[in-house]
Amino acid sequence: MKEFKLENEPKIESGFKTPDHYFDHFSAKVLQQLPESEPKVISIFQKRKAVIMMVAALLVLALMIPIYTSISTTPKELDQTTLENYLAYQSSLNQYDLISELETEDIAKMQPVSSAEDKVIEDILTTDTDMQHLLIE
Amino acid sequence: MQEELEFIKKLLNPKTQNEAFKELLLEYQRPLYNHIRNIVLHHDDADDVLQNTFVKVFQYLKNFKGESKLFSWMYRIATNEALTFLNQKSKINRISSEELQNKTIDNLQADVFFDGNEIQLKLQKAIANLPQKQQLVFKMKYCEELKYEEISEILGTSVGALKASYHHAVKKIEAFVTAN
Repeated sequence: MKEFKLENEPKIESGFKTPDHYFDHFSAKVLQQLPESEPKVISIFQKRKAVIMMVAALLVLALMIPIYTSISTTPKELDQTTLENYLAYQSSLNQYDLISELETEDIAKMQPVSSAEDKVIEDILTTDTDMQHLLIE
Repeated sequence: MQEELEFIKKLLNPKTQNEAFKELLLEYQRPLYNHIRNIVLHHDDADDVLQNTFVKVFQYLKNFKGESKLFSWMYRIATNEALTFLNQKSKINRISSEELQNKTIDNLQADVFFDGNEIQLKLQKAIANLPQKQQLVFKMKYCEELKYEEISEILGTSVGALKASYHHAVKKIEAFVTAN
């Protein structure tokens, strides 16, 4: 059998054909299919995104105002006068309750004050004539 | 090269794009058709793939960086489109690529757009027995008469590897034709 050698043979053409005038109409066919440049579509949300975000931020800030004011106006510790007034006039605590809460040291500190008060009372009783009358009676 | 850069500018400029693209179509429709037809074999398929190729070229023009020649970039798109088409067709028909190719060649004789003689048909059968890469190299070198440097740019393979591939392809084709 004769060995086939490609280089010894005349070039073998493909044998492919095209319909008549195929290339005359081809470019028009392709041009029809090309996508037209469409205007860029921007959604309403995208367009007004910045405005919406700003409104949302303002709303959040507005909602935080009452919380902030309530926090800032509440004192961290009650001042002494308010506490004393509360205990004296508003509280349901009586003297015995208060005494039971006092430490021995606190009671000892209070002694000089009470003795001073006794002296003042004594002076008043001896100097005030009206009071003397009342005592005699 | 300068001329090509100017032409690419025209293709990218919206004002001159349409005219430049028509020019591109007229220049490349025949060589790209031949390239695609050699891969897909039937005219109708080649027509579909060629249209898709040009539509994609138009769509991707804005991404064309000019790193490679316009010619090789378009051939690359055409090759990918043709191979993708064949893969899809074989999947649809639930047969392998090789089976599809053999079936297509069997049907070539009945194709009105093929007037090949016995040796031409035998050559097609011999090519179909080659691995895909060798098929591509053989078709581009022997049938389309592209230079190795051009094929190298299109397929991204070194010239040395292409020469070796072509040499193997020729040997296998000669053996097939001798045996049949």
